[in-house]
Amino acid sequence: MSRFPCPDKLLKLNQRFKIFTELAEDLSFLQEYPPRTHFSAKDNLCAVGFQARAGSRILEGYRPPFDATAIWRMRQEGAALLGKTNMDEFGFGTFCTNSGYDIPRNPFDEERACGGSSGGAAAATSLLEGHVALGVSTGGSISCPASFCGVIGLTPTYGRISRHGLIDYANSLDKIGLLVRDPLALRKWLPVISGPDPKDPTSCVQPALVTSGRRVERVAVPKEATENLSSGVESQFARSLASLQEEHGILVEEVSMPSLRFALSAYYVLATSEASTNLARYCGMRFGVRNLDISQHFNDFFAETRSANFGTEAKRRILLGTYARMVGFRDRYYMKALAVRQLVIAEYKKMFQDFDLVLTPTMPFIAPHFAEIERMRPLEAYQADFLTVPPNLAGLPHLSLPCGYSDSMPVGMQLVAPHWEERLLLDIADRWTSKFKMRFPEVSA
Amino acid sequence: MDIETVRKVARVARLKLTPDEEKEFARDLEEVLTYFSLLDEAPRVDTHDFNPVRVADVLREDDPARDVNAEKLRDSMDTYQDMVRGPRLS
Repeated sequence: MSRFPCPDKLLKLNQRFKIFTELAEDLSFLQEYPPRTHFSAKDNLCAVGFQARAGSRILEGYRPPFDATAIWRMRQEGAALLGKTNMDEFGFGTFCTNSGYDIPRNPFDEERACGGSSGGAAAATSLLEGHVALGVSTGGSISCPASFCGVIGLTPTYGRISRHGLIDYANSLDKIGLLVRDPLALRKWLPVISGPDPKDPTSCVQPALVTSGRRVERVAVPKEATENLSSGVESQFARSLASLQEEHGILVEEVSMPSLRFALSAYYVLATSEASTNLARYCGMRFGVRNLDISQHFNDFFAETRSANFGTEAKRRILLGTYARMVGFRDRYYMKALAVRQLVIAEYKKMFQDFDLVLTPTMPFIAPHFAEIERMRPLEAYQADFLTVPPNLAGLPHLSLPCGYSDSMPVGMQLVAPHWEERLLLDIADRWTSKFKMRFPEVSA
Repeated sequence: MDIETVRKVARVARLKLTPDEEKEFARDLEEVLTYFSLLDEAPRVDTHDFNPVRVADVLREDDPARDVNAEKLRDSMDTYQDMVRGPRLS
């Protein structure tokens, strides 16, 4: 028998948790035997047969005529695409509350957020046994929701997985990855979607993916990353460090990484600069929403469509990125941020001379209530990313693993490996989950 | 950031903001940019790169190819006699 809910139950689950922005029209494959792997794709990945709206009203009705390479490779391997998952508009958010299409609910507590921006992907994985979700991370959009929804989230090295068919947020930062419950699914599906693709030149310089041959023995914990944590996260993280040493025989050492404090600013400068240019293409002519009033001057035509259809956070980031690239500010912000990225990469490299991984909590707190999020200023929300941003800025592969529970909500830890060394993350995922008991919410539709 | 600057940036970004949005974004951006000024304290680095990993120039032969069905792309836009319709330029 399939381990999966029948189509009816799935539809009801979706009504309740707002996980998918669109489900496959024909769900009969769910009742096939033997069962096929069912997977989902974040709504910023293009797939034939589905709209690709990236959580934005401006892309309403856009139906790409091709599959993203990652989706195409999953399908070629026999996996069935269940649907497109909800997300913050274009990936702009820490909590998945900035979608133009409903707000996904945390499977552990419906009054709390799923985390962003791959919120629907994490919720789907948490709710559906055997599910594999394709997520996308620019500054932590796989780690964060994986942590809040209690699942495993793997973000590979920048360039490991082709970005062909991904609706760009920030080209120098975007990475496709996987959210799963079981590390075996990482071992099966990571090699499937990895590898060079002529349609994305940044994927063509990668060394071959190796999945074995190195074992995690030494782990560094930067002291800068254990400040400003909620007490629940702090205590669960401390217990995890003890478990790594005592149960897994891994050496854990505190280190200092002073450049991490510049990472957040550098990240937001680069991400918004790149986003503001990428989003210029949405103007009422080519994709999604169409403005038919062509009697207008082009400036008014573009501005009208954009102003009516971008959400508040999208506008905020477009303004920020446009400002950071303007004459007179470019050197102070954009060029400086590029230099800081090299500084952060160099500091990680130095750590990797003595350690296999760098370890921090994934998020400084558990999934917040929607009411708390509403009270946050934009800068506070950005600052919540301070642990997930550094490896993303540096293009380093990283993994969020469930490591404890606080107030019955999951807590995650994040492990960062050297460029192209995903195998260390696979090793720690296997070993950690062999002893740590993961919990999944039991919900009725 | 003052309202005048917000208006100027919005014009460049092809956004029309309401007076309430102008006020809100002026305050938000001021806060965020003040925080970004932390970058002034970062040590100088001589190298910079546009990607986090080294990306080689990968050029393919310039052979004609059709990856996507051009008719499908055309049909997703507003067209008139095989031409794309757009707004006035002047």
